Amino acid sequence: MSIQLIRDISDTSSFWGAAWVFGCFPDLHIVCDAPIGCYNLLGVAVTDYTDALPQMANLTPTSIREEDVINGTAGALVRTIDDLRSLGSLEGKRLLVMSTAESEMISADHTRLVARIDPQARFFWSRSLEQDEWTGRDRALLFAWEEYGRPSVDPAAAPGAPNLVNIIGPSLGCFNAPADLYEVRRLIEGIGGTVNLVYPYEGSIASTPRLAEAAVNVVLYREFGAPLAEALGRPYLFAPFGVFGTTAFLRDLGRLIGADPAQVEAFIAREKRTTLQPVWDLWRGPQSDWFATVDCAIVAGRSYVEGLTALLGDELGMKIAWTSGRPRRPDEPDNIEIRRRIHARAPAFVFGSINEKIYLAEANARATHYVPATFPGPVVRRTTGTPFMGYAGAAHIIQELVNRFYEMVFNFLPVEQVKAPAAPGGPPHGAPAGPPAPPSAETMPWTKEATERLNAALEQVPYLARISASRSLRLAAEQAARARGAPEVTVDLVEAAIAHGGQG
Amino acid sequence: MAEIIPLTPGDASAPQEPFKPGACKLHPQTMCPAFGALRVLARIEGAQPAMVTDTGCLYGLTFVTHFYAARKSIVAPALGTAELSGGKVQEAANAAIAEAAREQHVSVIPVISLCVAETAGLAEELLPTEVDGKPVVLVRVPAYAIHSHPEAKDIALAAVLRRFVDRQSDHEPGALVLVGEVFPADPLLIDGVLRKMGARVLTTLPGRHVDELRLAGRGGAVAALHPFYRETVNVLRERGVGVVTGAPIGAAGSAAWLRAVGAALDLDEDVVERVAAEEEETARGFLAAQPLKGATILVSGYEGNEMLYARLLIEGGAHVPYVSTSIGQSALTAADEAWLKAHGAEAVIYRKAIEDDQAAMRHWSFDLVIGTTTLAAYAKERGIPSVYYTNILSVRPLFLAGGMIASLSFVRELMNRRPLYERMVEFFSADTAQ
Repeated sequence: MSIQLIRDISDTSSFWGAAWVFGCFPDLHIVCDAPIGCYNLLGVAVTDYTDALPQMANLTPTSIREEDVINGTAGALVRTIDDLRSLGSLEGKRLLVMSTAESEMISADHTRLVARIDPQARFFWSRSLEQDEWTGRDRALLFAWEEYGRPSVDPAAAPGAPNLVNIIGPSLGCFNAPADLYEVRRLIEGIGGTVNLVYPYEGSIASTPRLAEAAVNVVLYREFGAPLAEALGRPYLFAPFGVFGTTAFLRDLGRLIGADPAQVEAFIAREKRTTLQPVWDLWRGPQSDWFATVDCAIVAGRSYVEGLTALLGDELGMKIAWTSGRPRRPDEPDNIEIRRRIHARAPAFVFGSINEKIYLAEANARATHYVPATFPGPVVRRTTGTPFMGYAGAAHIIQELVNRFYEMVFNFLPVEQVKAPAAPGGPPHGAPAGPPAPPSAETMPWTKEATERLNAALEQVPYLARISASRSLRLAAEQAARARGAPEVTVDLVEAAIAHGGQG
Repeated sequence: MAEIIPLTPGDASAPQEPFKPGACKLHPQTMCPAFGALRVLARIEGAQPAMVTDTGCLYGLTFVTHFYAARKSIVAPALGTAELSGGKVQEAANAAIAEAAREQHVSVIPVISLCVAETAGLAEELLPTEVDGKPVVLVRVPAYAIHSHPEAKDIALAAVLRRFVDRQSDHEPGALVLVGEVFPADPLLIDGVLRKMGARVLTTLPGRHVDELRLAGRGGAVAALHPFYRETVNVLRERGVGVVTGAPIGAAGSAAWLRAVGAALDLDEDVVERVAAEEEETARGFLAAQPLKGATILVSGYEGNEMLYARLLIEGGAHVPYVSTSIGQSALTAADEAWLKAHGAEAVIYRKAIEDDQAAMRHWSFDLVIGTTTLAAYAKERGIPSVYYTNILSVRPLFLAGGMIASLSFVRELMNRRPLYERMVEFFSADTAQ
């Protein structure tokens, strides 16, 4: 068995994923069988950056100590539950005890103990040592349905109404969930659907049986959520991206909920004149020409990778240099490879996490635009105005990219500031000899090798920054030639200019 | 200074019953202890950390390290059930070390061994001490055994110091080593005053470079500005470096500290006395106005230096009945605790939980809460001006007269913001009361 290496981990463990699902339920209290660090990182530190919550209010650790690692954590668990009861923290709530990597390490399975303490309470074996956050979320959603939903549902019962739709997936730790949820809800309601439950985001233990009332489920993410939709046994769709993807989704959903096709088409027509109007205007304008000239890389959840690839690549014609989705498939680059690619040649746009941002900084890739598109990384995405999904997502992404183009143009426009003329009689006394010669109006000859080297170097620079880079590299090489009194620019001078960072 | 808003009258907030800490300690208030170690180690120039742990831990610690410590790429082996139970931890650690060593300009490879790796067992003697001339240092920081973020900083610093400290050169006369993650201007302020006494700051640990660790061994004395660097101080003590405890905080504290430094470095007593008196006079001049008079303030953090801030606030005229920290009680905390208790602090809580802080909130009526994120949110929900200790106070000078003036003026301004806090809570609680 060979050891696999992780660089700047992207996906967290199933304990985190499951806790981010269970943490949505206000009528559930979670005790995690964990050392203080697991509690703090999940419940206080990171969730503040991913979800802007001061802390997860319904999470308590057993605070495993050294003696518990040796003797087992049962004592710590009993003490924690007793304390929670004495403070009244469990009143009106169901109790759930979760294992963590450390408690699994010492095989602390408390299924029976928890059942003995409280027959209503449950123990969730997180499988934190072998499963990732996506599997953890899926297992938590299925666990909630199996334990708190299905037992009180009549399997033969029909949906509450044909147009009732659940949205499954949005939970804590999901990048940009509020904005995407808002857009998907808007689309469902736009064609006559009624949102039944947003699960687990707006769900609870008490409302879990109501999952069965919907006729159709919309699964927000490809990376998790579909197993719950399968278990519910109703037709389901994935949330859409792009102009054409969203249109197809609306027609499919319309058929599933029995909407009048005329109402669906009327909504689409109205959207073209409202939400999507900027897409059409920017497409007709000069801005869309740029899309064919730039490339991008996408590192994100599976939904975002597929959705952005469809929108940017298939619909707008941008070149997709490479992508890596979560959970990662074996044929997609891992972070070691992503880092190598970004260091070798950074695309004009990189959608990703803080990891990609760090690699871009390491490579000093100033001509690349980084766009946050996934966690990890501290970024607040709590408003409804930044969707990636649906019609509004298409318009928002296109608008953002155009603004980044403008930003790049501004940053790379030549700035010819008027410099104070040098004092008469040359440089001041005592200045080092051999100041660079002033730029000459005369064209300097270049050797063929030097020109080829320049062109090769420019190939590495994103398109929009290329004009500016060519100008500064050329200037640097020619100045060096003049300073040396060389008759022409040779390849070594170009190399020196590149090494000196004259490419931008 | 802004217009002063009347504060809670001192007598109205004085309770009759003695304070009782939280009956249950359910929610410990500390950053993951291991992060303290990562923060110190990741900030060293050229350090390439290799973390040995499970994926959930790795995710959380990498997240906060990228944000708070250093935007530095971090490697780790994938450790699942198969590796952990199959005796592969050693091999896994070695693979991560090899990958870390492939980077250019590596000054040190700290191997950070966390809960699950420590439980599975990682033998130091089976790790390389260096790879291609790049030093490898094992740092063991399981959260279940260390209990607080600051104490892990000490363990990490002591580990690299043991490896790099200069044990050969002579001690430089008049050279003081500072220990503590302090505001960058503080060592300069201290150095300025020390020079008037014929001494200087040699270096401040934890530093940004392994050379600073080497240099520390040449100090004539070491000042543990923060009271949790027990291991670090011991490493230097073994090397024959004299130890000064406490910090130059407030009027009396600064003068006493300067005298202690004078004695440890064997400086001219008359000169030291003159400089100490000068500092005390400047501080007393500012304190005469008692800028915080009438204010009741809660101090609760997890950085381990809370008692220093509490002393400062008290000297500024504030009533600070309650101070809590994540660190444990030790010889290094004794002097501050005694001073606080002699100056109106009724409770000094070590290894605190949010339940302790909330009990204090119920017991006293505070004008300002300087707390952990959880406590600050709790106070804001009650319309009380409140800030996160770590982000707001740690970014200001603290020491000697200059630091004191900067910190106290800021605190005074915070309290004047009360109407903003009250307006927010009125608006939002009206909405959520249903």
